[in-house]
Amino acid sequence: MNTNQPAVTARGLTKRYGDLVAVDNIDLDVPMGTVVALLGPNGAGKTTAVRMIATLETPTAGSLTVCGHDAVTNGHAVRSAISLTGQFAALEDNLTAWENLLLMARLRGMSTTAAKRIVNSLIDRFDIGEFRTTLIKRLSGGQRRRVDLAASLVIQPQLLVLDEPTTGLDPRSRQVVWSTVRELVGEGVTLLLTTQYLEEADVLADSVVLMDHGRCVAKGSPSELKALIGEQRVDVVALDAAGLDNLVAHLSSLFSLTVSAENRTVSIPAPRGSADLAAIAAAVDDSRVPIDEMALHRPTLDEAFMALTDRSNLSLTTGAAA
Amino acid sequence: MTMTTMTGTLADPPTSTLAATTVVSAPPPHYLRETRLLIGRGLRTIPRVPERLLDVTVQPMIFTLLFLYVFGSAIKVPGIRYQDYLLPGLLGQSIAFGIIGAGVATATDFSTGVVDRFRSLPVARLAVISAQVVGQVIEQILGVVIVTGLGLALGWRPHVTIVGGFALVGLTLLGLFAFTWFGVLLGMMVKSSDAMQGLGFAIVFPLSFLAGTFVPIAGMKLVPRTIAEWDPISAFVAGVRHVSQGTNSTGSWQLEHPVTAMVGWCVLIIAVCAPLALRRFSRTGSK
Repeated sequence: MNTNQPAVTARGLTKRYGDLVAVDNIDLDVPMGTVVALLGPNGAGKTTAVRMIATLETPTAGSLTVCGHDAVTNGHAVRSAISLTGQFAALEDNLTAWENLLLMARLRGMSTTAAKRIVNSLIDRFDIGEFRTTLIKRLSGGQRRRVDLAASLVIQPQLLVLDEPTTGLDPRSRQVVWSTVRELVGEGVTLLLTTQYLEEADVLADSVVLMDHGRCVAKGSPSELKALIGEQRVDVVALDAAGLDNLVAHLSSLFSLTVSAENRTVSIPAPRGSADLAAIAAAVDDSRVPIDEMALHRPTLDEAFMALTDRSNLSLTTGAAA
Repeated sequence: MTMTTMTGTLADPPTSTLAATTVVSAPPPHYLRETRLLIGRGLRTIPRVPERLLDVTVQPMIFTLLFLYVFGSAIKVPGIRYQDYLLPGLLGQSIAFGIIGAGVATATDFSTGVVDRFRSLPVARLAVISAQVVGQVIEQILGVVIVTGLGLALGWRPHVTIVGGFALVGLTLLGLFAFTWFGVLLGMMVKSSDAMQGLGFAIVFPLSFLAGTFVPIAGMKLVPRTIAEWDPISAFVAGVRHVSQGTNSTGSWQLEHPVTAMVGWCVLIIAVCAPLALRRFSRTGSK
């Protein structure tokens, strides 16, 4: 097999449902061995895009090649090469974790013995042991996700597709999923994931495709995207109105400030991240004004969308798609 | 299967994957094996949700008792004991109600992500539907056995030869199979179990009551009589009565040749529903 062959190549990929254009003419490349995130709000077309890649939907227009196979004419070969973990834990509720995993392995063509061996190793790896004989419907969201991920890895897929792997999970379970995904990536698994969280794309992905209303709004590495979205900033919250005035008086000569009297907050751009945070902290300390809170903030996804969709009629970046 | 070599352990370096995938590119679908595995999945869930079997256990018992002892007390069919008249009718009704059972189970199944997961696997898509149909037929058989057993206990006296017995079993299985295909197709189209309940009753009530199930067709007014004369359930019921009680029905060609008519109906239903269900299942995806 050609190791330089991309895991996904999509050109002009489009999916219409009647008048609704769910995915509108997107180009997508997922090189082997990389992690690509489709980032966007609900309804952006992320799920429809990955469903086409997983051969669950047929594209209305465009070309789509997955692991060297045409996704429309050779779906079976695509399905043999990839694993999909859907948005909602796609497991049989009334079977146990063990039975679900065994079924998935057997459906992949393994003998019972081989399937049991793989399932046992997955149960160890994903820490499923303590609830292996519990019915899926009795598991927590995080536990289900772990079984779900394990079910996708009964084979070592050439491409792993994860549709919103952490949506609906509590922060701790999200961390567990992230560390698992990072381990997989460390082993060289090629990963395409969708997410609504900028942070998640930032933590996991080599490159990010920002989607809105079925279109690709921007693409690039997480840092390119963040640069595009706008700068990080440090927010300093004063204890009271008098403190805010004092802060402004001390800091305005050193930094460019945005003041919100309502929130008793001074915002200062911090393009260098923690280095700027340290400088600002030192200045605040010098001022001897007591403060309530000081933190480095990244732009939120909401802000990103405001910024990018408002300007999307302009030619955005080198990486921006049609 | 060589797939096992492809998986190895997850800690394998990526190079082993690449080497293995050269050997294993897209194994062909193994239809029977996959169907068997998927049927097993369905059957294994039954003990975990026994209430799902109410429609093939309690419901047929209620209908049997209701017709035998409540409505039956006011119904007289000339020339035959009502038990002997009723039981073939109840078997016909069981087959018709299978549409609802199969439809609701399918709609429920297809509204969860698990069917999508099966569809994303290199598994023959016909295997997923076949497993659904066979699993449902197995559940419906339980209902038929309960009706038969209860009927025999309460005075049904079929007179069957060995050949006739095989004919009865064959006809019933064929009927269950055909109507289950129809139910599975409806369930896939409706996609919500509530909607399927509603639609199912709207279809199954006329289908099973506007038929020679509980009262003779000959006494009905023109419109219901005409419908009943050509209702496939009438053909099944007339066929079972003919084989089990030696009764001959009249009124339409299909009632005079009920066994042939029933086989014809079943072949027709399967020939229409199976390709439609497969097309429906595959349409949203690719080959």
